[in-house]
Amino acid sequence: MLIRLSRFGLALPRLLSNPQTRFVSQSKPSGATVSPALTELHPVSEKAGHEEVSPFVKNPDYHGFSTDPVVDEWNMRVAFFMGISVALVIGGTFLRYLPDHGMREWARREAERVILQREKEGLPVIDENYYDPNKIILPSAEDK
Amino acid sequence: MLKILIPTLLLIPTSWLAKAKWLWPTTLLHSFIITLFSLAWLKNTSETNWSTLNPYMATDPLSSPLLTLTCWLLPLMILASQNHLAQDPLVRQRIYITLLVTLQLSLIMAFAATELTMFYVMFETTLIPTLILITRWGNQMERLNAGTYFLFYTLASSLPLLITLLALQNKTGTLSLLIIQLLGPIPISPYVNIIWWTTSLLAFLVKMPLYGVHLWLPKAHVEAPIAGSMILAAVLLKLGGYGMMRMMLILSPLAKELCYPFIILALWGVLMTSSICLRQTDLKSLIAYSSVSHMGLVAAAILIQTPWGLTGALILMIAHGLTSSALFCLANTNYERTHSRTMILTRGSQMILPLMATWWLITCLANLALPPLPNLMGELIIISALLGWSWWTIIFTGAGALITATYSLYMYLMTQRGPVPNHMISMNPSHSREHLLLTLHLLPLLLLVFKPTTIWGSAY
Repeated sequence: MLIRLSRFGLALPRLLSNPQTRFVSQSKPSGATVSPALTELHPVSEKAGHEEVSPFVKNPDYHGFSTDPVVDEWNMRVAFFMGISVALVIGGTFLRYLPDHGMREWARREAERVILQREKEGLPVIDENYYDPNKIILPSAEDK
Repeated sequence: MLKILIPTLLLIPTSWLAKAKWLWPTTLLHSFIITLFSLAWLKNTSETNWSTLNPYMATDPLSSPLLTLTCWLLPLMILASQNHLAQDPLVRQRIYITLLVTLQLSLIMAFAATELTMFYVMFETTLIPTLILITRWGNQMERLNAGTYFLFYTLASSLPLLITLLALQNKTGTLSLLIIQLLGPIPISPYVNIIWWTTSLLAFLVKMPLYGVHLWLPKAHVEAPIAGSMILAAVLLKLGGYGMMRMMLILSPLAKELCYPFIILALWGVLMTSSICLRQTDLKSLIAYSSVSHMGLVAAAILIQTPWGLTGALILMIAHGLTSSALFCLANTNYERTHSRTMILTRGSQMILPLMATWWLITCLANLALPPLPNLMGELIIISALLGWSWWTIIFTGAGALITATYSLYMYLMTQRGPVPNHMISMNPSHSREHLLLTLHLLPLLLLVFKPTTIWGSAY
């Protein structure tokens, strides 16, 4: 069933595409990972010589984006600027300087400070009672 | 949330209206802008941890790293596929990009859903674009078989989940994650309870995948085109882990003993699948099995349900997402030059592409959990959480870590060292695009070392 479905998948773009651009190979004839089904639809033999021609012959500064040197260079600039300068540098700075949610970092720093102070004073690191029991004034039994 | 969803939706018209020449740069630019804004999710603004858009969509520290990872993967997939699709007709390139965008859209909705029904629907929706990617853009005839495996494993295991969710809706009157975590234990009979527990988690365990139901994954990975492999390894598997963490909230006190067989399977799977890696001949299959092994660790950590386990699972999921995606990119750069995935036929690449060999080394080291990368942090936290649960697990996790190191180095040695085969006479030099692609995978991993709390989840 899936085989049949995949044939539909092949036919659909063929019906939609512009027939003039369909048979003119504008792509570089290298790095072909063409499946058997693909080769039936677009015979590879129409492409120049069936040989692998290095894109570096046409464009020595090839960056791997496009065979058109102008598009290739601009695509490279967009990718590097957006990926490195914007997403990683600006995004990374944003993440690094996010506010301390729930004061977790503060709590950690404060805890380390208190531990040092209490160790210096020879007190136990954490007291059994959070409040000093002597300071708590409970209502007397008669008051209730 | 809308500031991501609407631009992502508008990426579809962008991909259809952009001029042929500028199709790839435009979509790349657009998706990078979305990525930048997606980082805002990581800013936690509320005391309850949930930042809501509406009653049906919200993010919390558990979902936001996965959401950002999803958004980060789209530009990387676009970068990675350019060479692969250069020979396709224009319309097909547009369809391809549309599929990737649809996949991202449904993944965002799945991770952000608070209503379990919506989560289920989006969980299933991700199948369709992935299936089309695999069966249409795969490289060999076996892709159809792989597509069948992929579809039916997930479908068959997730239909029981649908029934469970409907039953839960009947019982409690709500499926909202925000409310359901406040409910007490749901009174049902012990026998139903067993079935209920299993059906709730089975879909996610298959998606993870758990050892025993993992057969679809290596097939799908081997046959999928580069973008399919990347998103599958980086995000789709994590959907399983994420779903488990969410469902566990409801199930936690009910059936503690039921998770034992699954933990055993997961840990045994770590050992078995990493041993399988040692005797793989196919590069992509090796990376796929290494994913199964890492995900086994994650599954075990989630099943024992300690805060450390959950934190470690999330850290390992994010770290493994970036690392395995990078490994698939590297495998693809090899494949585009040699047209072979067989490791023995593509040896000695270090002599030909030395800079690529550096990337291979770094990525392999990340895969075997080199300090100080988050991969190590995740594994350490999971291993210590499991050790605290039962010290027997150290046998499996320890041996697993050892074999992981072994097969990562095996992969590196097999592809990079050794004699150069005679048929590799003319190879294209590595492109700036490929170096950028790997930088964008590995640099975030390194940056996470400096701000690890980003991926520590809600337990922190």
